[in-house]
Amino acid sequence: MACVYIPVQNSEEEVRVALDQLPRDAADILDILKAEQAPLDLWLIIAREYFKQGKVEQFRQILEEGSGPEIDEYYSDVRYERIAILNALGAYYSYLGKIETKQREKEEHFILATQYYNKASRIDMHEPSTWVGKGQLLLAKGDVEQAFAAFKIVLDGDRDNVPALLGQACVEFNRGRYSESLELYKRALIVHPRCPAAVRLGIGLCRYKLGQFDKARQAFARLDPENAEALVALAITDLHTNEAAGIRKGMEKMQRAFEIYPYCAMALNYLANHFFFTGQHFLVEQLTETALAVTNHGPTKAHSYYNLARSYHSKGDYEKAGLYYMASVKEINKPYEFIFPYYGLGQVQLKLGDLRSAQSNFDKVLEIYPDNCETLKALGHIYVQLGQTEKAQEFMRKATKIDPRDSQAFFELGELLISSDTGEALDAFKTARSLLKKGGQDVPIELLNNIGVLHFERGEFELAEQSFKEALGDGVWLPFIEGSEKFQEIDASASVLQYKDRQLFHRLEDSGRHVELPWNKVTPLFNLARLQEQLHNAETASILYRLILYKYPDYVDAYLRLAAIAKARNNVQLSIELVHDALKVNDKCPNALSMLGELELKNDDWVKAKETFRAASDATDGKDSYATLSLGNWNYFAAIRNEKRNPKLEATHLEKAKELYTRLASDSFEDETLLLNWVNPTGSNKAEDDRNLYLWLNWILMGCVDFFQQLEKVWEKQAAVGSLCRTAASSKEVGDAEYSCLPSFRLEELVGDLFFNCLEYGTGVSYVVLLQHPANLYAADGAGVVLAEKGHFDVSKDIFTQVQEAASGNIFVQMPDVWINLAHVYFAQGNFSLAVKMYQNCLRKFYYNTDSQILLYLARTYYEAEQWQDCKKTLLRAIHLAPSNYTLRFDAGVTLQKFSASTLQKTKKTADEVRSTIAELENAVRLFSQLSAASNLHFHGFDEKKIDTHIDYCKNVLAAAIPHLDAAIREEQQIRQRQEVARQVALAEEASRKAEEQRKFQLERRKQEDELKRVRQQEEHFQRIKEQWKSSTPGSKRRERSEIDDEEGGNSEKKKRKGGKRRKKDKGSKSRYETEEPEADMMDDQEDLEDEDANLNYREPTGQNDQDDAEENAHDPLAAAGLEDSDAEDDTAAPSSTTGRRRQAWSESDDDEPLERQPLSRENSPELRDSDEEVKDEVHRPNGLDAAEDED
Amino acid sequence: MKLAGLKSVENSHDESVWAATWVPATETRPALLMTGSLDETVKLWGSDELVLERTNTGHSLGVASVAAHPSGLIGASASLDSFVRVFDVDTNATIATLESPPSEVWQLRFNPEGSTLAVAGGGSASITLWDTATWGLVATLPIPRPEGPKPSDKSGSKKFVLSVAWSPDGRRLACGSMDGTISVFDVARAKFLHHLEGHFMPVRSLVYSPTEPRLLFSASDDAHVHMYDSEKKSLVGAMSGHASWVLSLDVSPDGQALATGSSDRTVRLWDLNMRAAVQTMSNHTDQVWGVAFRPPGGTGVRSGRLASVSDDKSISLYDYS
Repeated sequence: MACVYIPVQNSEEEVRVALDQLPRDAADILDILKAEQAPLDLWLIIAREYFKQGKVEQFRQILEEGSGPEIDEYYSDVRYERIAILNALGAYYSYLGKIETKQREKEEHFILATQYYNKASRIDMHEPSTWVGKGQLLLAKGDVEQAFAAFKIVLDGDRDNVPALLGQACVEFNRGRYSESLELYKRALIVHPRCPAAVRLGIGLCRYKLGQFDKARQAFARLDPENAEALVALAITDLHTNEAAGIRKGMEKMQRAFEIYPYCAMALNYLANHFFFTGQHFLVEQLTETALAVTNHGPTKAHSYYNLARSYHSKGDYEKAGLYYMASVKEINKPYEFIFPYYGLGQVQLKLGDLRSAQSNFDKVLEIYPDNCETLKALGHIYVQLGQTEKAQEFMRKATKIDPRDSQAFFELGELLISSDTGEALDAFKTARSLLKKGGQDVPIELLNNIGVLHFERGEFELAEQSFKEALGDGVWLPFIEGSEKFQEIDASASVLQYKDRQLFHRLEDSGRHVELPWNKVTPLFNLARLQEQLHNAETASILYRLILYKYPDYVDAYLRLAAIAKARNNVQLSIELVHDALKVNDKCPNALSMLGELELKNDDWVKAKETFRAASDATDGKDSYATLSLGNWNYFAAIRNEKRNPKLEATHLEKAKELYTRLASDSFEDETLLLNWVNPTGSNKAEDDRNLYLWLNWILMGCVDFFQQLEKVWEKQAAVGSLCRTAASSKEVGDAEYSCLPSFRLEELVGDLFFNCLEYGTGVSYVVLLQHPANLYAADGAGVVLAEKGHFDVSKDIFTQVQEAASGNIFVQMPDVWINLAHVYFAQGNFSLAVKMYQNCLRKFYYNTDSQILLYLARTYYEAEQWQDCKKTLLRAIHLAPSNYTLRFDAGVTLQKFSASTLQKTKKTADEVRSTIAELENAVRLFSQLSAASNLHFHGFDEKKIDTHIDYCKNVLAAAIPHLDAAIREEQQIRQRQEVARQVALAEEASRKAEEQRKFQLERRKQEDELKRVRQQEEHFQRIKEQWKSSTPGSKRRERSEIDDEEGGNSEKKKRKGGKRRKKDKGSKSRYETEEPEADMMDDQEDLEDEDANLNYREPTGQNDQDDAEENAHDPLAAAGLEDSDAEDDTAAPSSTTGRRRQAWSESDDDEPLERQPLSRENSPELRDSDEEVKDEVHRPNGLDAAEDED
Repeated sequence: MKLAGLKSVENSHDESVWAATWVPATETRPALLMTGSLDETVKLWGSDELVLERTNTGHSLGVASVAAHPSGLIGASASLDSFVRVFDVDTNATIATLESPPSEVWQLRFNPEGSTLAVAGGGSASITLWDTATWGLVATLPIPRPEGPKPSDKSGSKKFVLSVAWSPDGRRLACGSMDGTISVFDVARAKFLHHLEGHFMPVRSLVYSPTEPRLLFSASDDAHVHMYDSEKKSLVGAMSGHASWVLSLDVSPDGQALATGSSDRTVRLWDLNMRAAVQTMSNHTDQVWGVAFRPPGGTGVRSGRLASVSDDKSISLYDYS
C-alpha cells in the first residue's frame, strides 16, 4: 500500500499517511502539512491522490491552500513545486471549463484556469509544463492558433516534450492537418512508448481521417478493448465497410462501448441512427437526448438533432422535425461537414409549403452534391410550384441525365414538359415506361394515360389507343371496345334516347357479369372514349361514356360528351336531356349551362336560351366571359334574326348586346379610352337612316375582340389538355374541346359579318389586339380581318398565313375560318384564282367538301371572275349537297341568267354559244318556275313576284336570243364561207409570196452571177410578172372590204330585225334624257330592286330583308312590273346595261342591307365602279344608236 | 369477306360522278354499270373492264340519280332540273320524260317486279309512283306532316325527301328525308305506316336487305349507318366509323355485307354479322357518292362485284368475295 511520509519538523520522525486512507476531511491533512511545513511536492501528491479517488473537493482544497499567498511567502524559493500546484489547478479548471455545458460557468472556469497559469508563469516564464497547460486551456477554449503557439514554445525548448507533442498533435488534428498530427503522435509514441491510450487513439483517428482505414483499425485495435472511444472508433470503421457483417460487428462494438461508457455522444448517435433504421423511434429519442445532454461538441450535437428530426420526420411530425432540423443546422458551421439536416429541413419545409426556404436549403445541398438526383428532383418540384417551369425542367433534365435509370425522374420531367413540349414530354414518359418495364415493375396507370393523351394530341391515334388500353387492362369495357358485345335491339322511337340508355349494363349484371370500373381507370376510360369519338367510333365512345356514368353517375363530363355526340348527330332533344342530367349533378356547371344555351338556340328556343345563358353567367358571377358572351350573342342574334322584325325590340336587344360586349371588352382591355373610341367613334357622321350602323359595327367589333380573347383562353386550355387530363376532375378540359368549335364557328359568322359589313369602318382594334397578344392566333386572325377591312390586304394576308401555319399543328384546334378569311382577302384583292384555291383547300381540309356555304363563297368568286360554267357547277354541287336550300337554286338561276345575258351581249358569238345560252336560259326559267311553284308551298322565303320577274326577264331574253341564234347560225355559215374564201385567198397569197421569194432569191443570185444584160432582161421579165401580181392584189383587197361590208350588213340586218323595238328604246332613252330624272329615278328603283334580288343570292335562305323587299315591292309593284315590261320590250342593249348593273349589284350584294356597298371593291370606291359601268354602257349604247341611225 | 380493287377509270366523266347503279344482265348482254354525273351525262359501262358502252345526253344541271329496271332493258335518270328521263338501255331511245312539278326529283328506284318506279320528291315531301307500262303517275305518297304545324317554312324543308327503297317483296316502300326521319309506306294500300327515328340529319341513301325483307339500312349525314327492323319499328344496330357524311350504301346480294360510300372519301365494307367495318378502301380522292353491288344473274358472272363512284370523277370496280 502506497503511503507518503510527512517529515515532522525539527525531528527525524515522519508522519506516515496511507494514501488509501486519507481522511475524509482534507483539513486534517492540511493541518498536518501546514504544521509540519511539509515539502510542497507532498501537497501535490496528496491532492493528486484525492483527485484519483474522485474526491475533487479535497483535491481543490489542498491545492488552493497550497497555492495561497502564505505558501508563496513561506516557500518563495521552492519554485517548481509551486508552479506544479498552480498548473494542476489550471488543468483542473481547464477540464471543468471544457466539460461545463453552461456558457457562463464554462467561462468562469476558464478564467480561473487562466489565472492559475498566469500565476505559474509569473513564477517562471519558461516552465514548459505551464505552457503545456496553457496550450491545453487554449485548446479547450477552441483557440487553436494560440494553443499552437503555446505548444510551439515548449517544443522549441524540448522537441521531445510528450505532453506538448500530444497537445500540438491535437492542434494539428483540429486544424485538419492530419498527417502533421500523425507525425506528432508518432514522435510522442517514440519518445514515450508507454504513453496513454489517447496517443494511439489519436494515431488511429489521424489515419482514419487520412483514409488509411486498415492502419487506423490496427491503431484502434492496439488499444484497451475496454476503451469506449476506441470501441466507437472501431465500430465506425466497421460500419463504414458498408457490409452487412461489418455493420453488425460495428453495432455490436458500439453497444459494447455504450455499456462501458454510456455517455459517449458518438456512440449514442450511432446507436440512435441504427435504431432509426430499425424503426425503434422511442430508443432513438432516448439515445439522442442523452447524447445531446452529454456533449456540447457542435457537429456531434448536429448529428443528434438530425437523428431526432429524422425520427419525427419519419413519424410525420413535420413541425417538430423542422424544429430539430433547424437546431441541427444551427450547430453546423460549415454545411459541407454535415449536409443531411439541410436536405431534411428542405423536405420538411417543402412539405409545410415554405418553398423559398426549402429551395435555399436544397440549393445548399446541391452546392455540395451537385449531382444528387433527389435534390435535383426536389428543386425541380419547388420550381414548378414557384411557377418557374423552365428552371424546373432544367433540374429535372439534369436529374434524368445523371441517373438515366430513374423512371420517377423521367415521369416528373414528362409532366413538366407537357405544357411546353409535348414531343419531349412523350419521350420522357416513354423512357419512364420502358425503365419500369425493364425493371419488371408495374407501369402506373397515370403514366400510361399520359402517354396516351400525348399520342392523342399528336394525332397518333393508334399508339394512343394502345396506351389507353394498356392502362385499362382487362375489364368489363373490353368487349365493348372490341365490339364483340352485341348491340341491343331497341325500339326505333326509343332509339332517339339511345345515349341515355344504361339498361345494357343492368342486363349485363343480370346475366351474371360483373360490371366494375375501378376509380383510377375512369380517366383512361374517358380518354379512350374521347379517342374513339375522334376516330368517329361514336357508338363505342357512347357505350364507354355510359359505362362511366353507370358506375359514376356524377361524372359530368361524360354527360357532356354524350350530349356533344348527340349534338353532332343533330339530336338536339337528346342532347338537351343529357345536359340536363349533367345539370342535375351540378346545376351551376357553366359548361353545361353554356352548352344548354347553345342547344336551345339551335332548337329555336330563344327565350329559354336567354335564361340559360343568364344562369351560366350568374353561375360564374359574370366572370366566365364565355357565358356573358353567349348572352351578348343571344341579344345580338335576337336583334338581327329575320323573323318578327320589331324595330323597338331590336333596338333593345342591340342595346343589351352592346352593353354585354362592352362589359366583356372592358374586362379585357384596360385602356378605356380606346374602348370609348370604339363605342363612340370620333368623327362619325351618322346618318339617321344608317340605322345606327356605327354602333352596330362596334358591337360586332367588340364581340369579335372578345371572341378572340375568349378563344385565346380556350386555346390555352387546350394546350394544357394533356397535363390536365391526369386527374379525373380536370379531364373536363377535354370536354371543353367541344366548345372550342362553337366560338370558332361563330367567329366565322361574326367575322363574316364584320368582313362584309364594315369594310371602311375598321378601327384601330386590330393593332391593339395584336400588340396585346402577339402570340395569340385568334387575335391575330381577328386583326387580319380588321386589317383586311382597312384595305391593308398584304399585311392581313401575312397575318392570316401565319395563323394558318401556326394552327396547323393541333388536332383539337381547327381554324377553317383563317382559310376562309384568307380566301376572302384574295377575293377582295381580285386574286380570284388564289381565292378559289383557298376556298377549295378549306373545303377539302376541314369539311370533306360538304359545306355548301363555302361552295357558295366559291361560286361567288367564280361569278366575279365571270367563270360562268365553274360558277354554275359549283352551285349545282352545293344544291346536291344541300337539296333543300332553295336559295342555291335561285342563285343558280341568276348565274345562268347572267351568263346568258353576258354571252348575248358579246358582239361575236358562235351559234353553239348561243345555243348553249338558250339552253341555260331555259334552265334558268325552269329553276325560277320551280321556285315560283314551290313558293306556294312555303318552302322558302322567296317572294313570288320577284321570282316571276326573273322568269319574265329570262323568257324575254330567251325570246330575244332566238333571233341571236338565227343570226349567229347565219353568221357562222357566212363566216364559214368567208373563212373558206379567206383560206383560199390566203393559200393563193402564200403561193404567190413564196413564188416571189423564190424569184427574189434567184434574182439575187443571178444578179451576182449574170451579166448586166441578162439582168436587165430578167428585170423586164420580172417587171412583167410583177405587173401580173399587182393586178391580183387589188382584187383581194376589194374582197376584204366586201367582207367587212358583209359583216356590217349582217350586223345591221340582225339589228334591223328588232328595229322597231330598238327605235322605241332609242326614243325612250332620248326621252329619258329629255324628260330628265323621273324615269331615271324609276330605273334607279329598278336597280334597287335588282340589288335586293341579288342581295338574296348569297345570303342564308332566311335573308333578313325579305320583308323589306316585299314591302318595297308592295310600294312600287307597278313601277317594277312596268319597268320589266319596258325591259322586255327593250333592245338587247338594255339587258346588257341592266345586267351590267346587275353585276354591280351582285358585287354589292351582301349580307348586310344597310351597307349596300361593294364589300371589297377592287377599285377605290363603289362610285368609281358605277361610273365605270356607266362608261361601259355608254360604249355599248352608241353602237346601238349608230346601227339604228344607219338604218334610218 | 373482302374487297379487292379490280379496275379504276379516272376521268370517267368530265365532272363529279354522283350516281351509279347496275343494269341487270339480259339474254343478249351481261350486266352494265350505269353512272350519272354533274357533267349532265349518263354513261354505261361494260363489266369487268369498264369499257364505255354509251354516253347518254339530254339532261341539264347534273344527273343526281340513276335507276335500272329489273329486266335490264329500261333505265331511268334524274337530274337537278327535276326531269326524269326513261330510256331504252340498249338504244338510248327516250321512252318517257317524267315530271311532277313542283316536286323535284332525287333518288329513283324501280320496284322488284318492275311495275313501278318510285321517285323521291324532294321538297314536296312525297314519293311519286309511276306505272312503268303507261308511264302515267300512279300515286303520290305524301309524308304526313307532324301535327300542330310549326312555322311553315321550317317543317317544309325538314321533310324534304331524298331517298327511297323498296322492300325485296315490293310491299313496302321506305323514304328518307332531310330531317333524318325514315317513313315506311304500305305500297298496296298506298298508305303511310310509320316513321323510323334515330337520325337527325339527312338520310341520303336507303336499302333493304335482299335476304331479310324487314331489314332496312340507312345512311345519314350524321356519319352513322342504322339497321332497322322496318316492321317492328326497332333500331337493330348503329354503326359508326365514317368521319363524315355517309352518302350511299348497298347490301351485297348474299345479304352478308354492307358497302358504304362517304364524304370522307372512303368506301367501307361492313360485316353484318359482326356489325363492324372489316375493310376501308381509300382509293378515291373525293366524296364517294355511289356504291352498288352487281346483282347476281347473267352468264358466267358468279363472282361478286362492287362499283363505287366519286366526286373525283372516277369509277372503281372491286371484286367482292
